[in-house]
Amino acid sequence: MEVLKENEEEEQREEEELKALKISDKQHDVERKLSVDQACTPNDVPDFDWSSIDTSQLPSSYKTNSPKEKKLLCIADNFLQQYAHLCPDREPLLLHPINECGVEKFVSTTVRPTLLPYTELFHWEGCASFVSDYLTMEPLKSPIAPPSSLYSPTTILKYQRGNCFDFSVLLCSMLIGAGYDAYCVNGYATHNLCTMDETLEVCPLLRKPQKETEKPKRDPLHGLRVHAWVLVLSGKREVPETFFINPFTGNSHSTTDEQFLGIESVWNHRNYWVNMQDCWNGCKDLIFDLGDSIRWEFMLLETDKPHLLFLDVKEEEELFDRDMDNAEKEEDRRFDMPPSWVAPIQISPREFETRTPQGRKVILYKKAKLEKWAPYLNRNGLVQRLTVYADSHYTKVVEVREWFKNREDKLEMREVNKQTQLTTEHFHPGHLLGLKAHIYTSMEPETERTMEFYNEARVDGLQKRVENANEMTEYFVGRDDFLYFRHVEFGKRVKKIHIAGTRTDINPRPIVQIKECFHRNVEKPADEDVAERVFLTTEERINLTYHLNDKYITASKKNFLKGAESDRKGNEIIMTPEMCTTYQAGSSETDKKQLHLYKLLQKLTEEEKQLKHEVWESAAEVLEILKTREDEAADIKLTVSIYDKERNEERRQEYEAMDNLMEDDLLGQEGQDLDYLAPFLIQTGNIEKMSKGQALCIKDNCLTDFKHRLTHKANIIQAHLQKEVEELQKKDQWYQENQNELSTEDEADFLAYCSETMFRIRVLALRLKREKQMAPQKYLALEEKLRKDPRLNMYLSHP
Amino acid sequence: MSQLYNIIEPNVISEEMVQKAVEEQSQDEAQQLAKREGINFKDVTELQLSFRNILQIDNLWQFENLTKLQLDNNIIEKIEALESLVHLLWLDLSFNNIEVIEGLDTLVKLQDLSLYNNRISKIEHMDALQDLQIFSIGKNNLAILEDVIYLRRFKNLRTLNLAGNPLCDNEQYAPFTVAHLPELVYLDFKLVSDTMREAAILKYQYSTEPLKQVEAQALAQLEEKQAKQNELEYHKTAFVEYLNGSFLFESMYGEDAEAAKLAYLPGVDDLLQAYRKEFVSVCENLFNYGLKQHEKREAEVSDFYESLHEALTANQEQGRKIILEFENRNKRTLDEIQNVSSYDIAESKLAEYNEDILQLSETLMTLEMQTADQLEELIKDFERNIAVLVSTFIENVQGMMAQCRDLENRHHEKLLEISINTLEKSIKNELDKDLPDDVRMLFVDETTVVNAVNASHDMHLLKIDSREGDILSNARRWQASVTEKALQNEIDRNRNRVKEIIQYIDHLQEELENTETPEPPE
Repeated sequence: MEVLKENEEEEQREEEELKALKISDKQHDVERKLSVDQACTPNDVPDFDWSSIDTSQLPSSYKTNSPKEKKLLCIADNFLQQYAHLCPDREPLLLHPINECGVEKFVSTTVRPTLLPYTELFHWEGCASFVSDYLTMEPLKSPIAPPSSLYSPTTILKYQRGNCFDFSVLLCSMLIGAGYDAYCVNGYATHNLCTMDETLEVCPLLRKPQKETEKPKRDPLHGLRVHAWVLVLSGKREVPETFFINPFTGNSHSTTDEQFLGIESVWNHRNYWVNMQDCWNGCKDLIFDLGDSIRWEFMLLETDKPHLLFLDVKEEEELFDRDMDNAEKEEDRRFDMPPSWVAPIQISPREFETRTPQGRKVILYKKAKLEKWAPYLNRNGLVQRLTVYADSHYTKVVEVREWFKNREDKLEMREVNKQTQLTTEHFHPGHLLGLKAHIYTSMEPETERTMEFYNEARVDGLQKRVENANEMTEYFVGRDDFLYFRHVEFGKRVKKIHIAGTRTDINPRPIVQIKECFHRNVEKPADEDVAERVFLTTEERINLTYHLNDKYITASKKNFLKGAESDRKGNEIIMTPEMCTTYQAGSSETDKKQLHLYKLLQKLTEEEKQLKHEVWESAAEVLEILKTREDEAADIKLTVSIYDKERNEERRQEYEAMDNLMEDDLLGQEGQDLDYLAPFLIQTGNIEKMSKGQALCIKDNCLTDFKHRLTHKANIIQAHLQKEVEELQKKDQWYQENQNELSTEDEADFLAYCSETMFRIRVLALRLKREKQMAPQKYLALEEKLRKDPRLNMYLSHP
Repeated sequence: MSQLYNIIEPNVISEEMVQKAVEEQSQDEAQQLAKREGINFKDVTELQLSFRNILQIDNLWQFENLTKLQLDNNIIEKIEALESLVHLLWLDLSFNNIEVIEGLDTLVKLQDLSLYNNRISKIEHMDALQDLQIFSIGKNNLAILEDVIYLRRFKNLRTLNLAGNPLCDNEQYAPFTVAHLPELVYLDFKLVSDTMREAAILKYQYSTEPLKQVEAQALAQLEEKQAKQNELEYHKTAFVEYLNGSFLFESMYGEDAEAAKLAYLPGVDDLLQAYRKEFVSVCENLFNYGLKQHEKREAEVSDFYESLHEALTANQEQGRKIILEFENRNKRTLDEIQNVSSYDIAESKLAEYNEDILQLSETLMTLEMQTADQLEELIKDFERNIAVLVSTFIENVQGMMAQCRDLENRHHEKLLEISINTLEKSIKNELDKDLPDDVRMLFVDETTVVNAVNASHDMHLLKIDSREGDILSNARRWQASVTEKALQNEIDRNRNRVKEIIQYIDHLQEELENTETPEPPE
């Protein structure tokens, strides 16, 4: 930096430079016009005429500049002049664009730090996604120059649209409010970033480890496109590393991201810094230490930012001092940023919930389209839909994923594969029978489907049930009987009396085979612990396979053949050795008595019956779920939280009723408290019939009583005051007498006591004084009130 | 009552009675089956012998696995003949004429004991019943409230019934009982409320506190004793018990009368002290060395079993896999054979299946043979390693014992020298006047002195030799047993496996034979 010597010289030079700048500006304009035509991409956002907005209702701070602001503008102009002088090749800074009322405002004062009362907005991710959802993006008028105007965040929120600068200022206001060390950045970025074109990006919901990056088209304006974004410095709010937020998408980026090509300046609500570092390599090599005055030229000298090189600071101070008017020197050094002229940022719960303009937002990604809706906007609770296409022209749908919120049937997400027609529905916990997911191609019963369950919520521990036309497989978790797998094979339905219209559950499919597998129960010996049992119902056979014993390689087995029992007459079932073949690993069998086997068989027969019943119940459950799902799909209901006053009509009425009741109570209490007359009326006895004299008497009595009370009150205060004063005097006397013998501690005690008592005396005196002042007024007020009291009024006014 | 006795004869539990009772427990068809087959008393887990006018318990020794026995409502006078029912959890002796609690010492698993309505006057002889949870001793002749304290030893006791005893007339009965048995949940069929428990505990705080202290002390002592015992056991497994200190040295002098006499000689005391110090230090070296060697041996053994286990697991996995493959392959073969219409096809399938079974047998047997070879190798290695360890140990022990002997020899020489000097003095009549008479007696002539000293020396050497011998023989015995065990385990395993394979193959073949095939064509 050069050191300028004389002001006159400088002014001359400045004028010259200003002329030169104007000329170059003209050249620029030509350039710009050309490029604007090039750069303006067709946008589906309908044009919005900002000039038509109503500014008459805005507060006066929007329309005028306070003296302090005016001074700030002077300082800014001065700064700009020096800057232009020192760095003639750099673009002019964005310092004080005009606002919606046509008044020049310094950019830092446009930032209005605000913490909004929504937990989601306490974190930067919530803020960023809110801003990106809530506002509609408008391109800059010229893609290569910062805008000439910058509107207040309140206006931007009101019309829900803005350019990158508006986005950044709003986001920055919210982040600073939430305690982040955030800054608005004026800089340069790639075409995709500036135009919010994410069609080359893979949708974050579809992102997979391997990323194939498509080279973007060559951009003729590469490096010239102006963009604004937000910089969050590490340190505050436990941010470990400095990062950027692109306000259009709400995504965070590393400061070394190649899409960010350079930084002109940054600002927050306190100050404005110009980047003095070279951006030939994008933002990769930038160092974000704003206290480093070599790399970052500040506009206002601040005290709370640590400066790295004190020497340099001094030099610069001197430099600035010399530039400025000597008389104002002292003050300028300590000039604080004036408070923001913007009215407080407010977002109503409804606006916050609705989020997107008109409640809907569409983002195009590479071969995918993401749509977002506000909750409760769609009747079916749809809040997000992702459509995946096979091609880049968004014509051939491959897959549709839909997310729902607040649905009474707990549906969370539905995934439809358009090629196979395979539908997967995911449910939140709480659906009928603990349903977690339902994968199907058709809602017709006894077709291929998989249902998953929240097994913790089910008594039977069912986790999954897979079904097709003649098989059903169930998986269990955490059962006391160690069952984890059950497979059922069904046979062909006997087609006899099939009356039209009867449901399938009336005529259940015959069961051919049931197979169950169990985990090892360590409390039993292995060869008494069944690992697998198969009921061959048609063949009347039961095969048991036991768990393997530690040292053996063959598992014990028992195969029962129940066929024999039916030969016997009546229901007499007697065990015969032929009915069971046993293989006992590692021991010569037949030491088991027939009685034991008989008991086992009896138990198994009983269990088989039970099991068949369970299988039919499972089948019935499937039918029930299918029916419930159909009903639910036909009549979708949304749930409303009881805390939601806006939507929960019933709740609101209840709340209001309660509110009213409470108010009534309060009023009633007040009324009672103020009824001075009551005791005197009771004394008189008959209220209905009173002479004027009596009425007057009552009134007088009441007033005298009140007077007494007031005097009494004053007397009490007076007495207190006197007592305190006396005590203080006594103490003081004692102190005077014993002054020489007292230790320092005692003396300190005494002094503390004195100051405390003095304070009390002062307060009492004050109260006494007020009481005396107020007494006549209170007296008059009561008199007035009594005069108007209907109970006395009728007797007093009508003689 | 007496009239009742006249009608029904008092009984002794007889074989016949038991048999009948067991049979009656099954129902319907099962009873028929039971009758036909007979029931093994060892399989019976529950037995009810109520209302049978039993006077004496007998003939229950066969019911080894009994868990529940009901002998209520009889006229039993003495608890006896229950020693073999060690698995008993539930014993009901209510409504009898028992006077003394006894004969329960082997029933360590007992959880529920009912002695309701008997003639018992003292709670005693129940120390073995550490698992006791429910105890009913209502309607007896218990009179002393302090007897309840006896029940404190049952840490799991939750339900107690004392109602109907004379001691219940004491109005302090309930709070006293609850205070001394604070873990009790039910007392006399009633839930013990928290408030009642708190109040009772507060009330008897001063009488329960010393009890608690005594119990805690006893427990601590027991634990200490246990710890010492464990330590000694550990030292014994290392063959160096009582070598950490002067035990051996003391034992050398313990029975040595001559040495005690010789100790009176001037200078012997110092000599003895020095000797003792050196000797003990050698012993301690030996002790530490022994412990170290013990660890080495343990590590070797556990290494061996680990690798053995690994090899066996791998082998088992392989065998299981082979069998599983076979079973999956032939799951429906038998059904198919049964359902095939033509005899020829059935016959060929049968043959095929038979062939497969033989093949399986072959594979399994080969596998087993390989495993046996592999394990034999492993065991040989193990044996060798153990032998090396033990022989090194023995060598070193012998070395250290030789040091002991050297010390003893040196000590002996010096003692002899002193003795001879003293003898000379004695001859010159310069002996210390203080010496006791029996010591003076030694110095009659040279032979007596030398004999005494030699006798002492021999005795010491004998002790050292015997201790050495103990160590060596213990070590050799351990070596033999540990290798023997490994070998025996492997032999057993091999036999079991071969047996298992043969059985399994037999089972398959039997199944095959029992399959009904179509009739051969005429």
